[in-house]
Amino acid sequence: MRGLGIAFIVVDLILLFFAWRSLSRSGVIASTRGWLFVAVGLVPVMVAFLSFAHGLDQSSTVASCGTCHVMTTHTADLMNVKSDTLAATHYKNRYIQDHHCYTCHSDYGFGGTLSAKIAGVGHVWRYTTGRYELPLKIARPYPNVRCLGCHGASQKFLNSEGHPEGVMPLISDGTMSCLECHGPAHPAQQKAALR
Amino acid sequence: MTPRPGRVRVLGIALLLTAVFDVLALLVFLRGTPVFFAAFMFVGQGLFVIAVLLLLGAVLADLRAKQLL
Repeated sequence: MRGLGIAFIVVDLILLFFAWRSLSRSGVIASTRGWLFVAVGLVPVMVAFLSFAHGLDQSSTVASCGTCHVMTTHTADLMNVKSDTLAATHYKNRYIQDHHCYTCHSDYGFGGTLSAKIAGVGHVWRYTTGRYELPLKIARPYPNVRCLGCHGASQKFLNSEGHPEGVMPLISDGTMSCLECHGPAHPAQQKAALR
Repeated sequence: MTPRPGRVRVLGIALLLTAVFDVLALLVFLRGTPVFFAAFMFVGQGLFVIAVLLLLGAVLADLRAKQLL
């Protein structure tokens, strides 16, 4: 998709040049209208579609999350094989194959994707404008449903001595957070601002 | 009928806005960071919509001038 998208952009830039040349030399004549229709009305639609799809996918990668330097401690810990944090354990054991940050920090279904992307826009805005404080805090308590989506039906979870029958309803309804016993998810950040 | 220079200028702006849109889209492919993606989504696509509206406006004005509308 990346190559195709870049190819469409290059083609469109060439078409824009021809449209501009035709417009400046001959004014609005039939051939200029043709160049304009293709260069402004047609090819950019494909560019928009491919860029949106590529950008949406790329913005879910660990590398993308790590581009903001406030995330450096989190991504470095993720890739530290000696770390025992919950995130690093999932990463080094390949419990999640791809998009590790995004998988744990978005809800399931289309609504989850939508709300995660809207939250991501907020993150970009706060990062770009410097409107954040360290250490970073999760906006809302981490919901157990994100853990249970993968672990909920596993025998290891259902038969674990650490999950006696009396505790299971508390885990299911979110009264007791998984992180109370399985945390910390990430290393602690220093309080000093990095910016 | 010779089109007015104003219409040529408007179409020139539409071309320029589309070129900026293309550059922002290219940045999404070359540097897939959330900042570039957000810039493309909110600035790039907005510029593209304006470019298409300018093109439509010029086409409609052209048709009206030829009394086809």
